[in-house]
Amino acid sequence: MKIVGVTACITGVAHTYMAQEAIEQECKRRGYEVKVETQGGMGIDNELSEEEITEADVVIMAVAIGIEGEERFEEKDDAGKILTLNPAEVIRNPAAVIDKAVSLVK
Amino acid sequence: MSDTMKGFISDLTKAFSTGVSYMMPTVVVGGICLALSLAGGDATAGKGMVVTNPFLQNLGIIGSAGFSMMIPVLSGYIAYSLAGKPGITPGMITGFIANTPIGENHVQTGFLGAMLMGILCGFLARWVKKWKVGDTVKTIMPILIIPIVTTVIISMVYIYILVGPIGIAMSWLITILSGMQGGSALVLGLILGAMAAFDMGGPVNKTATAFTLALMAEGIYGPNGAYRIAVAVPPLGIALSTFISRRKWGADDRRMGSSAAFMGLIGITEGAIPFAVKSLKTVVPSIMIGSAVGAGLGMIHGVECMVPHGGLIVIAAVNKAPLWYAVDMAVGVIVTAICLHLLRPNIEKEQ
Repeated sequence: MKIVGVTACITGVAHTYMAQEAIEQECKRRGYEVKVETQGGMGIDNELSEEEITEADVVIMAVAIGIEGEERFEEKDDAGKILTLNPAEVIRNPAAVIDKAVSLVK
Repeated sequence: MSDTMKGFISDLTKAFSTGVSYMMPTVVVGGICLALSLAGGDATAGKGMVVTNPFLQNLGIIGSAGFSMMIPVLSGYIAYSLAGKPGITPGMITGFIANTPIGENHVQTGFLGAMLMGILCGFLARWVKKWKVGDTVKTIMPILIIPIVTTVIISMVYIYILVGPIGIAMSWLITILSGMQGGSALVLGLILGAMAAFDMGGPVNKTATAFTLALMAEGIYGPNGAYRIAVAVPPLGIALSTFISRRKWGADDRRMGSSAAFMGLIGITEGAIPFAVKSLKTVVPSIMIGSAVGAGLGMIHGVECMVPHGGLIVIAAVNKAPLWYAVDMAVGVIVTAICLHLLRPNIEKEQ
């Protein structure tokens, strides 16, 4: 299983990075490959490349705001492989979120 | 609720959040610089805070620049969230227009107008993006067609269709207010206070300002005193609420609380705008009630302020009942915090 994600919250100082950590930890615990791009107050960090997005089985969008480079995910969106939700939900219950993301793959 | 409606509402929520997200640093830079500059000034009768120190004057220039940028940034990124990159330019330009006095009545719609401009630009740009065009035109779509079409159409709609009625409504409000002068002082205070908080720098707020300034020119300082209490209440009340009702605000909002408090003391109502944009229906009624109470009490106590500026820093220029000025402001602030506590839902615990 390979999961990529983007996190972005309104102020871009706390939730963006807390959501990133939550996704990464939960995926690592399950032995999934994971990479999470953050679009916080400092701009884009840990940017996802086109290949990484193409190779991923599913994309988690933990975003509360409009993000940069949304067009990179169009193909995944058409394939129905994107799970979009609020960063706070991810922080609250990462296991349920990853379960839901995995269910999109099958 | 139908799915299209749900999609529309979630698009709007996301757009407002995006706008606030990008506007926030601008509010902070503008607010802090302006506040530091004003804090070093003297309250002068008829003129407001007069800053004489050249360094502080320059700091004031930075602050004002930040404040004039804040409205276009808000509308620009609302449009960006809806339409992507091609939305930014139309959103910023129309937001700037919304914040520029236009026409005989000097109609200026401030952040509410800018929010509307951002939404309209966003949806129009999103639609223009979908036009099926030939390959030659396609290359110039994002840099020429979309920005020009969107900016010109929305600006013209604003200038020719919206500004006229708003201007007429503003002069009508002034007539009503003038009619009330000499009537019940309490009612006048309540209305002025509610107007100050309603749109924080928009046409309703500006109408109240124009009215109190006109009275000051005639040597009547009471309504100005009440109004200047009201001006400080929204940011102070919200700040107090973020301090005491901790379960009602997210971590991000609580961090913004102290800068809102600072702006409130210095009489900058705009400090409340980021909170209001995120939740108009809980914040606006609360601050309107709080400001109305503060200004109403101010009228009863006969508070008179000689300068057209608000907040606690002008207390030296409150020539009648300065103690009541502070007390009434505090009461308004507490009322705002109570209303917010009652109106806002608890935020679920995060981690």
